[in-house]
Amino acid sequence: MLRSFISSVLPLLLILVTGLAVAQSPTAADPIVGLRDRRPTAHALVGADVVTQPGSLIRNATILIEGGAILAVSKDLNVPAGFQVIDCQGKRVYAGLIDAFSELNVPLADEQPGYWNSNVMPQRNVSVAAAKNPIDQAAKLRSQGITSRLVAPQGGIIKGTSCVVQLGSDPGQRLLSAKSWHHLQLTVPRTGSRPRYPNSPMGATALLRQSLYDAQWYSRAWTAYRSQPTLPRPESNRALQVLVDAIDVDTFVIDAQNERMAIRAGKVADEFSLKWILRGSGREYRQLAEIAAMNRAVLVPVNFPEAPKVQSAEAARSTSLQDLLHWDLAPQNPARLHEAGLTICLTTDGLDDPGKFLAKVRVAVQRGLDADAALAAVTTSPAMLLGLDSQVGRVRRGMLASLVICDGDLWDSKTKVKECWVAGERFVVSPDKQADDSLAGQWKTTLRADKVETELTLELNQADGRMSGQVEVVEAKRGRGKKETESTPKTAKLGNVVRGRDRLTAMLDLKEISPELPPGQSQLTILTVDAASAAIEVFASLRLPDGKLLDLRMQRQTTAATETAVSVDAEPDESKEDGQSDEAEKDQSEPQSIAEVDVNPSTPTLIPLGAYGLTERVSDQPTVLFRGATVWTCDQQGKLEEADVLVRDGKIVAVAPSIEAPKGCQVIDVYGKHITPGLIDCHSHMGTDGGVNESGQAVTAEVRIGDFIDNTDIQIFRQLAGGLTTSNILHGSANPIGGQNQVVKLRWGETMDGLRMREAPAGIKFALGENVKRSQSRYPNTRMGVEQVIRDQLLAAREYQTHWRNWEQGSRDRLPPRVDLQLQALAEVQRGERWIHCHSYRQDEIVATLSVLEEFGVQIGTLQHILEGYKIADRMAKHGAMASAFSDWWAYKFEVYDAIPYNGAVMHDQGIVVSFNSDDRELARHLNTEAAKATKYGAVPEEEALKFVTLNPAKQLRIDQYVGSLAPGKHADLVIWSGRPLSTLTRCEQTWIDGKKYFDLEKERQLRDRDADLKARLIQKVLNGGPPTGKPKRDKVAEEDRWDRFDAFCTAHGSGQAGKKQLETSKKEAK
Amino acid sequence: MRLVTSLLGLFTVSIAVAHDQIPGAPQTVPIVIEGGTIHIIDGPDIENGQVLFENGKITAVGKRLQLPDRTLQVNASGKHVYPGLIECMTDIGLREISAVDETDDRTEYGNFNPNARSWVAVNPDSELIPVARAGGVLVGMTAPRGRYLRGQSAVLYLDGWTVSDMALRAPAALCVDWSYLHPRSSDDKKQAEQRAAKWKELDELLEQARLYRDARHDRPEQTEVNVRLESLLPLIDGQLPLLAAADSQSAIESAVAYAQTQDLKLIVYGGYEADACAALLKRFKVPVIVAGVYRLPRYRDDPYDASYTLPERLRQAGVSFAIGGSGTVSPGGAAAMRNLPYHAACAAAYGLPHDEALRSITLSAAEILGVEDRIGSIKVGKDASLIITDGDILETESHVTDAYIQGRVVDLGSRHKMLYEKYQRKYRQR
Repeated sequence: MLRSFISSVLPLLLILVTGLAVAQSPTAADPIVGLRDRRPTAHALVGADVVTQPGSLIRNATILIEGGAILAVSKDLNVPAGFQVIDCQGKRVYAGLIDAFSELNVPLADEQPGYWNSNVMPQRNVSVAAAKNPIDQAAKLRSQGITSRLVAPQGGIIKGTSCVVQLGSDPGQRLLSAKSWHHLQLTVPRTGSRPRYPNSPMGATALLRQSLYDAQWYSRAWTAYRSQPTLPRPESNRALQVLVDAIDVDTFVIDAQNERMAIRAGKVADEFSLKWILRGSGREYRQLAEIAAMNRAVLVPVNFPEAPKVQSAEAARSTSLQDLLHWDLAPQNPARLHEAGLTICLTTDGLDDPGKFLAKVRVAVQRGLDADAALAAVTTSPAMLLGLDSQVGRVRRGMLASLVICDGDLWDSKTKVKECWVAGERFVVSPDKQADDSLAGQWKTTLRADKVETELTLELNQADGRMSGQVEVVEAKRGRGKKETESTPKTAKLGNVVRGRDRLTAMLDLKEISPELPPGQSQLTILTVDAASAAIEVFASLRLPDGKLLDLRMQRQTTAATETAVSVDAEPDESKEDGQSDEAEKDQSEPQSIAEVDVNPSTPTLIPLGAYGLTERVSDQPTVLFRGATVWTCDQQGKLEEADVLVRDGKIVAVAPSIEAPKGCQVIDVYGKHITPGLIDCHSHMGTDGGVNESGQAVTAEVRIGDFIDNTDIQIFRQLAGGLTTSNILHGSANPIGGQNQVVKLRWGETMDGLRMREAPAGIKFALGENVKRSQSRYPNTRMGVEQVIRDQLLAAREYQTHWRNWEQGSRDRLPPRVDLQLQALAEVQRGERWIHCHSYRQDEIVATLSVLEEFGVQIGTLQHILEGYKIADRMAKHGAMASAFSDWWAYKFEVYDAIPYNGAVMHDQGIVVSFNSDDRELARHLNTEAAKATKYGAVPEEEALKFVTLNPAKQLRIDQYVGSLAPGKHADLVIWSGRPLSTLTRCEQTWIDGKKYFDLEKERQLRDRDADLKARLIQKVLNGGPPTGKPKRDKVAEEDRWDRFDAFCTAHGSGQAGKKQLETSKKEAK
Repeated sequence: MRLVTSLLGLFTVSIAVAHDQIPGAPQTVPIVIEGGTIHIIDGPDIENGQVLFENGKITAVGKRLQLPDRTLQVNASGKHVYPGLIECMTDIGLREISAVDETDDRTEYGNFNPNARSWVAVNPDSELIPVARAGGVLVGMTAPRGRYLRGQSAVLYLDGWTVSDMALRAPAALCVDWSYLHPRSSDDKKQAEQRAAKWKELDELLEQARLYRDARHDRPEQTEVNVRLESLLPLIDGQLPLLAAADSQSAIESAVAYAQTQDLKLIVYGGYEADACAALLKRFKVPVIVAGVYRLPRYRDDPYDASYTLPERLRQAGVSFAIGGSGTVSPGGAAAMRNLPYHAACAAAYGLPHDEALRSITLSAAEILGVEDRIGSIKVGKDASLIITDGDILETESHVTDAYIQGRVVDLGSRHKMLYEKYQRKYRQR
C-alpha cells in the first residue's frame, strides 16, 4: 500500500514555509481540527539564471512554485497574483542535488524464516527506519545543495534494499521511494563482530554466490512442488523469496572497497546476469580500462585522501610512494571515470563531514571533471538510475520544487549556496548580508547631568549582524561656561548591546569618559522607528545609576572620515559570517589543500600504483634469440654448454647450439651466463587479498583464491626478481577441506585476469593434522575425525552427482537438486577435473588420506609439505602421489619434529616426483638455492635437483606440457642467471615469461631511480602545501590490509597466532 | 663413533629427550689437519697448508710444520678448512619445538628481565644443536626474546655435556628491543614526547642501578639485594655491552645516541638501515649484526634486494658488521641455524666480496661478541674450533666432513642423519 502510494504520480505537496503543523491539507488525510487555516503557498523566483539541466541555462527566468511542485520555468513569465515574489537577480538556480549513497544500520525486522547465514538478508529494508527518524545531518546536507538522498542498509553481505528520502522537515513527505536498490558486498562487513562464517572475503563472495544459486533453486523447487504435490514441501524462506523476485528485475549495488573489488563485482554480477551499479572506492583510476569495460554506472565517492604525513624525514621514509601517488591522483578519479564513458554519481560516501561535499566536488572539477558532467553526476544521473527522473534532478514543470539557489556557478569555489528548496519547502542556507542597520553610524547628543553639560559622540558599529558601540566626549561645558578640551578624547564602550527590531539597549559607565559624570552602570535605550516611507527616527534615553531617566536627543553625524571608518569596521569577516547559521557553509570558503589546488598532470598512474609500477605493459618481443649460455633444459637434452634458445611469439622454438638468427630477430648475448626454465613455486600464499584462510567451517570447498588475485602485491615483483615465473596460490590450512587454489604467472603489471595461468587445471586445498584439529569447538579435533570428514564429504559429493545426473536425465521423483558449490568442487575432484593439494606431515595421516582417496578412485594432485614422506615413499609411489616439500624446515611444531632435509632425496630415489616449495614470501625469492639442498642432503644430481623447482612442480600442477622445461612448443618462461643456477653466489639477472622480459637488472635500476625521484617530488609537493590542516586522523584500515597475506594456521609463521588477525581486526574496525 | 651413532639411532623413539650424539672427549694427542686450503680469515688462504693443534689450542699454522710425536694426521686434501662458523643471534637451546609452549623458554614474563640469563635454560641435549653444527656452525650467541629488556645472552659452543662445557662467554650482552624505547606515532610531536618518556624510564632505571651499586658498596647491611638492579651493574660499568635490536635509521640513531648519554657499550642487532647511520656508527665505534640477509624489504618501496645488498653497503660505508642468520624468530630460528653460511653467500651474490662474506660469519662475529681472542680465525693461540668441508662453505652443496671444538672431535651425526639412515634401511629391506 505504502509503496504504491509513494511511487505513484506524486501528489501536490504541502508547503511548510512557516514550519507550523497544519492539519488540513489536500496532500494528507488528517481531519481538520478547529477552523480551516490554509495559507497561500505559491512562490515565484524571479530574475534567476536557471540551469534547468546540465548544459541548459535560461537567463533571467522565473520559476513558479506551488504546492511543492514547479508550475513553470520560463523567461518573461507573468507572476500570477498571490505568488510571493523572491528576487533572484544575480542568482543561479539548479535542481536540488541527489546524494546517491548513505548508509543506515537497521536491524532485520522480518520475523519470517530467513537464510541460514545472518549476513544474507535481502528482505531487510531501511525505509521504515529512514522515514521514521529525522535524517542525520539534514541541515548540513542542505547546505551543500543536497535535497534528497539514498539511504542504504549497512552491514551484511546481501544487505537488503535502500530507499530515497527527501531532506525536508515533513515526515509525511520524507520518503521519496521506499525501495530503490538491493545492496551487496563481497567481503566481511566491518560493522559488528566478525562472523564465524564467512570470516574472509573469499568466504563472503562464496556465500553471496551460493545464496543466489539457492534463490534460483528455491524458485525451481516450489515450481516443482506445486506441479507435483507428492514431493516433499520445500521450506518457506523469506530471504530467498525476496531474492527470487529481485534477481531478474531489480538493480543491485555492489560495494567495491578497492579497484580489484570492482572487477570482482562485475564477474559475480555477470555470473547471475544481474543488473547492477558499482559503489566505487575512489580508486577506480588504478584499473580504469577494466572497470570501464564493464560499462556500469558508478557511485563515486569524493573523500579524497588527506596529504600523507611527511613532515619529518623519518615519517617520509615510511610513507609509501603508493600513498603519495594516491593523494596526488585520487582527485582525478571522477574525471577519469567520466572520460572513460561511465555514468557516475558523486556521493558523500566516506566523507567524514558531508559539509565538505561541494568543496570536494569542486576539486574534482578543478582536476578535470567536466562541469556539466559534475552536475549530471549529482542530479540527472542519480535521478535516472533511481527511476526518479520524472520527479527530481531537473528544473522543469511538474518536477518537485527541489532547488539550489547559489550566488554564482555551483562549481566556482567562491560560490555560496544561498537557499535550498526541498519539494517547495524553503531553507535559507546563508542569508543575504543583513540590510545595514540604519542605526549604525555616528550620533551626536548632549548629556545634561549634575549641571554638567557634556557633548558626546555615540558611535554604533554593525559587524557580523551584531551591534557594538562606544561613547566619546566631544567637549564638556561647565555651568560657568568654562571650556575644557581634552587632548585625547576619552571613550566608554557600550556593554550588553542588544539590538531588537524596535530598540537597542546597552550599558555604559559614564565615569570612564569623565570623572565628573555619575559613576556606575547607566542604561541606554534607543528606540528606532523605521517608517516605511520616511527616514529613521530615534528616541534615546539614559537611566543613570541613581535611577534618574534622561532623554537624549540624537543627531546623526555624517562626515566622510567617519563613514569610511565605520564601513571598514563593519566589513563582515568572511570566515565567521555563517558561523552560527550553518557550520557546514564554512567549508566552502576554507582554503583547499595543495593537492586539491595544484594540478600536476605529469604524475604517472603507475600500474600497479606505487614502487616498481609500470607506465605501460611489458611489451611483446616477437622473436628473441638467447645466444651462448649454459642452458639447463630440464628436458631430455639435459644441460647444454654454449647453447642458444630461440623464442617466437611467447613460445620456445628451439634449444640447440648455434641456432641461426631469423630475420628481424633480437639477439641477446648471454655467453658465460646460465639459462634455466622459469622457477615454479608449488605452494605460495602471495598475490592474494582474499584472506588466505576461510576458517569459518571445517569444509570450505566453495571458496576460491582465484576470486581474489592481488595483481598489485609487491611480492610478485620481488619473487620475479628471484627467477620465479609461476606460482600456485593456495588456500591456507585452517580446515580439512579448504578452498580452491589458483595458479598464476608472475606477469607484473598485468590485470588480475592477466596473472591467471589459464592452462592450469583447477585444484583445491586439503589439510591434515595439527592445524585443522586445533579449533576446539568444532569437528574434527583428531586425525580420526579429519579422515572421517574427508570420507563423508566425498560420499556427499558422490550422492550430489547422482542426484544431478538423475535430474538431468529427466527423473522427477525428488525436488530439483540445489547447486551446492561446496559439493560441486568435490564432485569435480571425483571426476578428475580438480586436483587435491593436501597439506600433510605425518606418515599416518598421509597413508589414511591416500587410502580414502583410493576408495573413491581419486588420485591426489600433490601432497604438500609431506615432511614425513621419506617414511612412506613406497606407499606414495604405489598411489602415484607427488610430493611438494620444504627443503629443510623442521621443529616449528610437533608434527614436524621428524622432518629431515633428506626427505626430498629419499622420495626422489623412490621414484616420486618431488618439488621444493616456499610457503613463504622470502623463500620464494630464491628457490634455486633451495633446490641445491636436494644435492646437499641426499646427493640428488644437480640437474635433477633443479627440476625440483622447475619441471617437477609443473608436473605436480599438471602444467608440464606448457612450462617447467625448455623445449620447443613450451612457454618461453626462462631465467638468465649470473652463474650456476644452484649456487648461493648466483643472482637472477633477467626473468622472461611468455617470451616477454618482466625483469632485468637494468630496467630494475631505472625503475628504482624513477621511484626515488617521484617520491622526492611528491614529498616536496606535500610539504610545499604547508602544514596539514586539521588533526591527524587515523585512517580506516584499507580493505586489502584487513586480511592475512600468509597462512596464519601454519605455525612456521608465528606460533600460536592462528587466525589471530581474523579475530582481532574486527575489534579495531568496530571503533 | 659413527657406528655408535647409527646403532643408537635404531633404538631411538621419535620423542627424544636427549640427542644421541656424544660430546667429544678432550684432546689428548696433537692433531694436524693437512693438505687442504686453510682459510685463516685474518690473512690470505694457505693452499695445501697445515693446522696443528694441541690440548684444544692451535699451536701452528702454515706449511711443512714441525709436528710433535704421535701427532694424529688428518688428511684434508682437496678440502677446505675454516674456523667454526659463529651465529651471532639464536634461540638454540632455549626452544625445541616453537609451537609447543612446554619446550619454549625464550621469553620470560613481563618486559623487565635484565636479570634473565639465557644460558641457565639452554638444554645441551636439544636435537637442534647437532643439526646446526653439522652445518658448520660451531658457536652461537643464545639470546632471550621479549618486548623490552629481554635478558642476557651467552656465546656458547655447540657441544658439551653441560652448559659449563659449552660456555665461551656468559654473559655476552644485555639484550633489549629498542623499538620499546622508540615508539612510533603518526603525530611527530607526540612521537617525540613518547620517546622522551621512554628514555627517561631507562635513565631512571640506570640511575637507580648506580645508586644501588653505591649503596651496596657503602652500606651493604642496610641495602637489600635487588637481582634486577644487580644485573645492570656490568652494563653501567661498561663490562657488558647492550645489544639493541633496531632496524630503522631513527631507531638505530636513537640507540647510539642513548648509549652515549649513559656511556654504554653498544651493539646494534638488525641494522636494516644502518648504512644510513654510517657516520654515527663509525664515530662511536658501534658494530652491527645484520639480522639475516634472507629478509624481505621492510617497506614496499624499497629496492627488492635491499636486504641482500645491506652487508655490501655497510662494508662500503666502513661500518663494522657481522652477518647473522635466522636469529630467534619464525620461520626457522635455531632450526635454520645451519643455513647461516647461505646468508653470507647471498650477500656475496649481491656484491660483498667473498672473503668479507666469510669474515662476517667468523672473525667479525667473534670481534663483535667479544670472543675474538678465542675463536673466529685460524691463528696460533686460539681455540682449535675448526671445520673441514668438501667445498666452499658458502655453497649449499658443500658438506662439513669434520669438525673440532677446542680440539675435541665433534660428532656430526644428528637426528636428521639418524632418521635418514633408519629409513634407508626400510627401503633396503624391500
